[in-house]
Amino acid sequence: MNTLKVQLQIFRYKQGQSPHYDSFVVDVPDTAHVIDAIDAAWAIHDPTLTFRRACHHSSCGSCAIRINGVEKLPCITRITDVWDGHRPLRLDPLRNFPIVSDLVVDVTSFFQRMSAADMAMTCEAEAFLPFSVDTFAVADLDPKPVDLPENFSRFSRFEQCIECGICMSACPTMAADEKFLGPAGLAAIHQARKKTDDPVKVAYLLGLADGEHGVWRCHSAFECTEACPQAVDPAGKIMALRRELIVSRFTKMLGKRNV
Amino acid sequence: MENPFAQETKPTSAWLWQVFTGVGLVVLLGLHFVANHFVAKGGLRDFSEVVAYLRNPVILCLEVLFLFCVTTHALLGVRAIFLDFGLSEPAERRLNQILKLAGVLTIGYGLGVTWIVIR
Amino acid sequence: MSKLDYRKLSRASRWLDVRNRKLGMWAYALNRITGIGLVIYLYMHLFVLSLLLRGPTAWDSFVALARSPYFLALDVILLAGILIHGLNGLRIALTGFGIGVGAQRALFTTLMVISAIALWVAALKIFRV
Repeated sequence: MNTLKVQLQIFRYKQGQSPHYDSFVVDVPDTAHVIDAIDAAWAIHDPTLTFRRACHHSSCGSCAIRINGVEKLPCITRITDVWDGHRPLRLDPLRNFPIVSDLVVDVTSFFQRMSAADMAMTCEAEAFLPFSVDTFAVADLDPKPVDLPENFSRFSRFEQCIECGICMSACPTMAADEKFLGPAGLAAIHQARKKTDDPVKVAYLLGLADGEHGVWRCHSAFECTEACPQAVDPAGKIMALRRELIVSRFTKMLGKRNV
Repeated sequence: MENPFAQETKPTSAWLWQVFTGVGLVVLLGLHFVANHFVAKGGLRDFSEVVAYLRNPVILCLEVLFLFCVTTHALLGVRAIFLDFGLSEPAERRLNQILKLAGVLTIGYGLGVTWIVIR
Repeated sequence: MSKLDYRKLSRASRWLDVRNRKLGMWAYALNRITGIGLVIYLYMHLFVLSLLLRGPTAWDSFVALARSPYFLALDVILLAGILIHGLNGLRIALTGFGIGVGAQRALFTTLMVISAIALWVAALKIFRV
């Protein structure tokens, strides 16, 4: 195992200061991932460097950033795959979210979008724990407790999506339209719609998708699907929702003619 | 605090109109281009040839349909670009009004010129 | 807490920055650029048509100008814009209806190759006329 002397150029922003880049040089093994280099920069050089990290295996979605301008999960991105050994590795926060500090962005609006799709955020193991689901309702997102109907599947975690926000950063419409539900939000609507036959809920979900800031704002750049580290294929789900909405409109039109 | 993304907005047909006029244009623009630049002698019609061309009722219908499709498609495209500026609701309504007016004026102008030329 | 946010203009023009982006993003940017070009052309064309109202002399002298090689070259550029925008538009229509989403990159490449061939054939015909 060899050691790499990696040059990093990390975006820095603290309240009241101008944004700028700081350079760091860290020694890491050549098998290391980008998150390890960020850890080293924080531990050895600058403990004020702010970033998110948790699982180190693309399960939590916390660490998503841009590496040389491209959205990636640094926990599963090997340094040798993205660093040419000469130019510094540039690290920036995700786009289309307000920057809180350095590499950390405010993801409130992201989780509001997911919550709008009525995706219950609990998983089976959590549902059997001896405290109520209120514990998982974040106070400023939605004050109402999550209300699971009796026959609702307890394992309701969004199977593929790890809610990392990478698709939202890659999407050009997310850059332009703050009210756009975004690839993750629309994929969540598609997922929630697949899981239910309740006509009221279906009408609500399709109503969200059919609005001015729903599926029709997508410009088919397909960056979300390209960037997604978990093969969610948000673009495919947006197009599937479009197909359902178009078929439903034509059915209603023909239905009205037949009356 | 209400979830701002859990508000239903009214359905929009703009994208569907964009697609249908777009597909229509592939056919109509194709015909227009071929008729005016590849069928016409020398690749362009002189004044008398233009008048004769537009006096053909089938051609006239196709050209009017073409005018409607191209104006609608173009202005919906312009609208999509302006929507990306993150406009407020009143600004969006104003944009829609201006573009609708531009559409009516464009089609009206096209029909007017055609009428004057062929009568 | 003071958060850093982007200016509206830079966000509205984000689609122009295709660095490090994939083929779908290139297609989107190309479609928008050709679209803007075609809107400008449309209104120029409609304006030129007003020469018809001034009678045969005005129109026929414009036609003589439009036969010059410089104009014909502009016509080839126009046709390039039409082919790129039109064929890519068909791809957007298809994928937008949920058809061929998985093949969107291959579809783009194929349609652009077809555009290039059609443009070449048309350019030959235009300059031989």
